[in-house]
Amino acid sequence: MAPETCERYTRQIKLPQIGSSGQEKLARARVLIAGAGGLGSLSSLYLAAAGVGHLIIADHDHVELSNLNRQLVHSEATLGKPKVVSASQHLGQLNSAIQVTPVQVRIDQGSIDGLLEGVDLIVDGCDNYPTRKVLNRAALHHNLPWIFGGVMGFDGMVSSFVPGLSVCFECILQDPDTLKPDTIKPETIKSGNPPPNNGILGATAGMIASIQAMEAVKLLLAIGTPLTNRLVRISGLEMRITTAELTPNPDCRACSPSNKN
Amino acid sequence: MKIQFNGLKETIPQGLNISKLIKFFDEGDPHVIVEQNGRYIYPKNYDTCMVMENDMIEFINPNLGG
Repeated sequence: MAPETCERYTRQIKLPQIGSSGQEKLARARVLIAGAGGLGSLSSLYLAAAGVGHLIIADHDHVELSNLNRQLVHSEATLGKPKVVSASQHLGQLNSAIQVTPVQVRIDQGSIDGLLEGVDLIVDGCDNYPTRKVLNRAALHHNLPWIFGGVMGFDGMVSSFVPGLSVCFECILQDPDTLKPDTIKPETIKSGNPPPNNGILGATAGMIASIQAMEAVKLLLAIGTPLTNRLVRISGLEMRITTAELTPNPDCRACSPSNKN
Repeated sequence: MKIQFNGLKETIPQGLNISKLIKFFDEGDPHVIVEQNGRYIYPKNYDTCMVMENDMIEFINPNLGG
C-alpha cells in the first residue's frame, strides 16, 4: 500500500477488523449508491472517505436550494446541476484516489441492470416504494446485498437484505399505494410514499445514512454482525431505538419460491 | 391488562389479538409494522397472535423517504 494511502486510512487500518487487507478489499469494491438525495449523499461521503474504490452514483434529479438542509454532498455552488455531477465533484475533492461514476438516470426496470454491472453491493438512497421494489427485484435476480434506509421527519429505519440469507424488502413492506381508496383513512396515514416536500431534519438522514455506510463496510469486509433479519427503527424526537427480528414471509411475492411473480 | 405500547405503559382489555389491538388504538394505517417483544409480526398472523400481560408492542409507520 502506498504511504499516502496508509496515512489517509491509518485510523481505520488500526482497527483489527479492517487492517491492511480489509482496506485493500474496500479499494477493490464497487458500490451503487441508488439516489443522491438525503441518504445517498451522506452514505456516499462516508464510503468515499472509507476508501471504497468505485462508487456509482445514480439519480435523475438536479440540486435545489431546499435540498441543502440535508443533502450535504451538494452545495450552493452546485445549485441547478445534476445531482450526480454535483456529488461526483464533491466526492472527488474528498478523495481523489477513488473512482466516482455519475449516472444521470431514473432508476427503473429499464436502467437497473446496467447500473449493477460489476457491482458488489447496493446502498439505498431512494425516496419511494416503487424504486425500492425495482432495487429489491434486481438485487434478488443478481444475488446482490442491499442496504435499505428510509426517513421522514425525525424518524428512520434501516435493514440489510442479503439474498438467500435474509428476508427481502418486500417480505416486510408492501406498496402503500396498492390499497383500494375506500380502505384508507387519510387522516390516519402516517407512512407510505412521502408526499412531495415532506418535512425532514437533516440529522435524521445523517443517522440512517451513517448506519447504511457502516453496514456497507461490514458486508464488503464480512465483519461484525450485519443487520440482516433485523429492522432498526429510530424515533428521533424521543430518541427511541427499536430493533425487530424478522423472519421470512412465506407469502412474499418477490422471494418466496411458491409465490414469485 | 398492562402492556408497554410504543414505549409507554398502557392498560388494555384482556383477550385481545393484534387485529383487535390495532382497532383498540384506532391505528388506521394499513401498512403499520407491528412488533411484539422485538419480533416482527406478519399481517396474516394478526388474528392468531394474542397480546399477553407485559408484552412490548410497537406500531411503526414505515418511513420511505430518502
